[in-house]
Amino acid sequence: MTSLFRIFAFAAALFFFCNASHGLDLTGLDSIPIQEGGRKKPFLVFADEALLSLSGKSRYVKDGAKIDSTATVASLWLTPVGWEDQPLVLIGNKKFKDQLGLDPAKKLFTYRELAGNEKLRDALQDVSAIRSKNPKASLDVLQREASTVGMRLAVFEGLVSGRSVTLLPTGAAAWSPLKSDDVALAKLREGFRSNNQADFDAGLAELRVEQAREEARFQADAGKIALEVFYQRLHPFRWAWILYLAAGIGLLVVPGKGGYALGWAFGLGGFLLQAAGFAFRTIISGRAPVTNMYESVVWVAFGTILFALIFEAIYRSRYFLLGAVPVAVASLILADTQPVILDRAIHPLVPVLADNFWLTTHVLTITLSYAAFALALGVGHIILGKSLIASKASPALHNYLYRTLQIGVLLLAIGTVLGAVWANYSWGRFWDWDPKETWALIAFLTYLFLLHGRIAGKWGGFGMAVGAVLAFQCVIMAWYGVNFILGVGLHSYGFGSGGLPGAIAFVLCEVAFVTLAMIRHKQAKKIARPPLDEGVS
Amino acid sequence: MVRDAAFSEFTGHLFLRGRCFWRVGILTAVERKRLVEARKKKFVFWRVVHWLGSLQLALILLATIAIACAVATLAESEFSTKIAQVYIYKAPWFLVWLAVLCINLFAVTLTRWPWEKKHAGFIITHYGIITLLFGAMVGIQTGFEGNVTLHKDKGPVRKITVNRSIIQVESPNDSALYVMPFDAATSRPSERRPRVFEVPQTNLQILADGFSDNLIKEEKLVPSDSGRPGVLLRFTSPRMGQNLELPMVLEGTAPQDRDFFGLARVVFQAELPPPKPPRAAETQMVFGRFAPVVQGATQASGIRVLLSADGKKITLAPPESASATYLREEVMKSPLQVGAVLVTVEEYWPDFEMVGGRPVTKSDQPNNPAALVRIQMPSDVVEDTKPVLVAAPGDGGIGYQFQRGGATYASGTAKVGDSFATGWADWQVEVLGFYPQAAVRSTMQPGPPLPKGETGVPGFQARLISPEKKDAETCWVASGDITSLTDGRNVVRLGYGLELRPLPFAMRLLNFEVPRYEGTETPSNFIATVEFKEDGTGLTKTGTARMNHPASFPGTVFANFTGINYKFSQAEWNPRDLGETTLQVLYDPGWLLKWVGSLAICMGITIMFYFKPKPKDA
Repeated sequence: MTSLFRIFAFAAALFFFCNASHGLDLTGLDSIPIQEGGRKKPFLVFADEALLSLSGKSRYVKDGAKIDSTATVASLWLTPVGWEDQPLVLIGNKKFKDQLGLDPAKKLFTYRELAGNEKLRDALQDVSAIRSKNPKASLDVLQREASTVGMRLAVFEGLVSGRSVTLLPTGAAAWSPLKSDDVALAKLREGFRSNNQADFDAGLAELRVEQAREEARFQADAGKIALEVFYQRLHPFRWAWILYLAAGIGLLVVPGKGGYALGWAFGLGGFLLQAAGFAFRTIISGRAPVTNMYESVVWVAFGTILFALIFEAIYRSRYFLLGAVPVAVASLILADTQPVILDRAIHPLVPVLADNFWLTTHVLTITLSYAAFALALGVGHIILGKSLIASKASPALHNYLYRTLQIGVLLLAIGTVLGAVWANYSWGRFWDWDPKETWALIAFLTYLFLLHGRIAGKWGGFGMAVGAVLAFQCVIMAWYGVNFILGVGLHSYGFGSGGLPGAIAFVLCEVAFVTLAMIRHKQAKKIARPPLDEGVS
Repeated sequence: MVRDAAFSEFTGHLFLRGRCFWRVGILTAVERKRLVEARKKKFVFWRVVHWLGSLQLALILLATIAIACAVATLAESEFSTKIAQVYIYKAPWFLVWLAVLCINLFAVTLTRWPWEKKHAGFIITHYGIITLLFGAMVGIQTGFEGNVTLHKDKGPVRKITVNRSIIQVESPNDSALYVMPFDAATSRPSERRPRVFEVPQTNLQILADGFSDNLIKEEKLVPSDSGRPGVLLRFTSPRMGQNLELPMVLEGTAPQDRDFFGLARVVFQAELPPPKPPRAAETQMVFGRFAPVVQGATQASGIRVLLSADGKKITLAPPESASATYLREEVMKSPLQVGAVLVTVEEYWPDFEMVGGRPVTKSDQPNNPAALVRIQMPSDVVEDTKPVLVAAPGDGGIGYQFQRGGATYASGTAKVGDSFATGWADWQVEVLGFYPQAAVRSTMQPGPPLPKGETGVPGFQARLISPEKKDAETCWVASGDITSLTDGRNVVRLGYGLELRPLPFAMRLLNFEVPRYEGTETPSNFIATVEFKEDGTGLTKTGTARMNHPASFPGTVFANFTGINYKFSQAEWNPRDLGETTLQVLYDPGWLLKWVGSLAICMGITIMFYFKPKPKDA
């Protein structure tokens, strides 16, 4: 056990202390408010988002040394000379690199080689021509990539010119960047260039004075900024998956009551940390944390653990936690490591989402139902896994699965109805076969099919497990597919792209796993017919 | 007693110890099974009920509906929403299937007869679904959905556009209008599958035998004996890959004024106005490698212009705000707005040299890039900010003037066949035709197939058939137009398009606001204030429609409760004209049933899962 703790302590040290690389201490800069993308945020968050959108990573390796986002962005802003020759701009798509005649083995390119690339300029002009003809025109993959790369170049230009570093409140209008003859800017630049902490801090103090000149109501809320800096540094969702993983390992490795207690302790710890993370995010953004794919993935992980803990409290079985941990850990790792696909930045909402009551009730309920189905998926996997290693799952385990499915069906029904009520208010109609609505209905019908088939005696506990895994693919479609594959309909604010190969691989793996388990189950059945579960009338 | 016994036997109630258990007959599972077997054996009715309410049928229905919906969403993504609706969601077979589902749901509740307490959740859920579907049916049959576009500066509107295509035929015999539902986009008439409409009160027929979803209006300029001067201009933009032909003929004394993609205006009038010089201008000669030369500045703008060393980029640095960089190629000759000042890159030489007092370029290589930049100060009177092309008939061609901000920035004359640059992006104008006496003749013709995701003007090909003449000339009828069909003797006027439905009240837009998120152009809400005035009673009410909060009329408790109420929610806005908004109008008397049904479903499932009495016979 102690070795496990040691690993975590080491990981913690890694997360917190690998930031220092530039000689200067930039923590003072981190909490300077900046207005960007429709809200006021700390410089740290601005830097994280800027570096992520430029390079796809939250750290940058410059001349062999890792530097954090604040140092990178501050350097781009304060000492831009030379950055145009640093490989910083991400191009992920291989075909697009071929099209531009760039080295397909490289991921990051310098501003100079991209800005001078005639083919890139042609591609960008094509895209802008399409857009100017029809702003809603759908772009193909290469065009989308071109537009993303163009956006990255613009981010770079905004930073090196200082144009996008909008630090000065200017009344009700947009904030403005520091002028080139600004005293604070000169001091910051001088301090940064000469590695002089005193100069740099004097520049920060001067900057704060300049910011304070504007009326208080146009300024950033200092408490919120401080909270956001804390949240951004804390990484609560990363720590949550580490703790959940520990809970899973504890449950599996340590036998008996001790392991169960460990599972509870770590699981509850991760859960509380995640709850705190959601609380912070809610306070910072002023809305429920379920408005994009990233937030919903993290929320589903949360819900899965929530239901597992509730069921554990009732039934004192270890299967709920065991079923929930892989689902929660996998989704949180996905959210933690795929920032390009799952955008974690807090953006202002499109007007239709801006009503908090309906957003909270409808989306939270729907995603909680996904969480319940995800838990059912986990428990289903345990049942199928047991049949694979030729041990029979107990009727109790089948009952657990049924209980979990019930929660999911109930929440999905309520969530869909709440969605219809919201649609009636917002779009003026109750139901109009919007793809998101329709797939929620399809998932609902599929789970109903599963429950009714059991009542009809078509399948028993094992069949329910198979069904729980297969029906979850409908949830994947309703959740991910509608936004990322179909890309039509009114839920367009959640649309995105990427991750399709991963999603297909997941579905294929699940189907293969189920098939394998069914073959094994049939073989086992030939040897001894297991008693059928009693249906309910 | 005998009758009672027979009835009880039919309904399946038991006589136990001589007493009838009408209400709460608690049966064991075995008793219930025996009872069901007995009544199925004895009565056809029960056999049918148990068959209709069978789980097998339910499973088939659930599976087929789910699969059909999945196919429909794929079809919607691949083709269009309309296809998915016509072939699945709103197709007759799907509605029949939903009706079968209702029957199955109803029958299954009967199979549980006699009902006991434990059936409560089950029955509530299943009746909830029936109520919901019934409410949806009521909504479809008696309610409607439409759009209305309102403008702040325009008068009240009393008709809304309903999403249903119709044709309107004006009968030549009684001059009355006859309305028939017809949607060419879904029925797609062709020569193999034509559609025929009888013209009422006559022996004429209209035959539709072709469809196009991209009809283009072709306007031709033709010489005429009685007309006034007319010109045909062709605008082309190689970069956008577009061209547009614009015929204009003088009528009366008022200038002919056309909007050009919202970018600019084109005006054709009898005479050119006297050119208005801009208030003040300066020119700068900027070099990629040397300091600029400023001249002619009556009042310095303070704008610094920088040309990059490779001549590809030009940066404008105004004294008060952030500088902006442009690709020089893209902004050549098109005025850029910097604050209130217009900056135009007039000329460019990659390898600048003065030869004989004239600037020339030595090579294509950017060895000494230089650009001539003109900076125009704002005039005191700020007029239309859109650029205007003013043309007037001249000698064998036209005279033209380009204006922006009230000042003339270019002028000249052009004969037929000449072309000149507009300075609006890369648009060029060519004079295709000019007649001192002309007329415009317009016809609709099918255009090339549209790329996916774009919508054009749909329409169908039609001709008039009379007993005497079967092969009259065909004509394309476009949506939103009125077209005259003729066989040489009779003329029938035919309108095609979305149905306009009059409402019993008038709507007027009082105010429309689009607040934005701080520091961005992203809207954070849409707020439309609308005044409603009822016909007859003159009842006036003001309502506000904002995101997620529709306005309603009459909006009283009674109206809300029964659904005899019109709801207005934000549908579309025009970023170019903030005085205009499009609202969706919904009238749905079935809403209460849908609500009650939905609530019942949720309650029923909860009761079924979590409030079920423990079976007594366990």
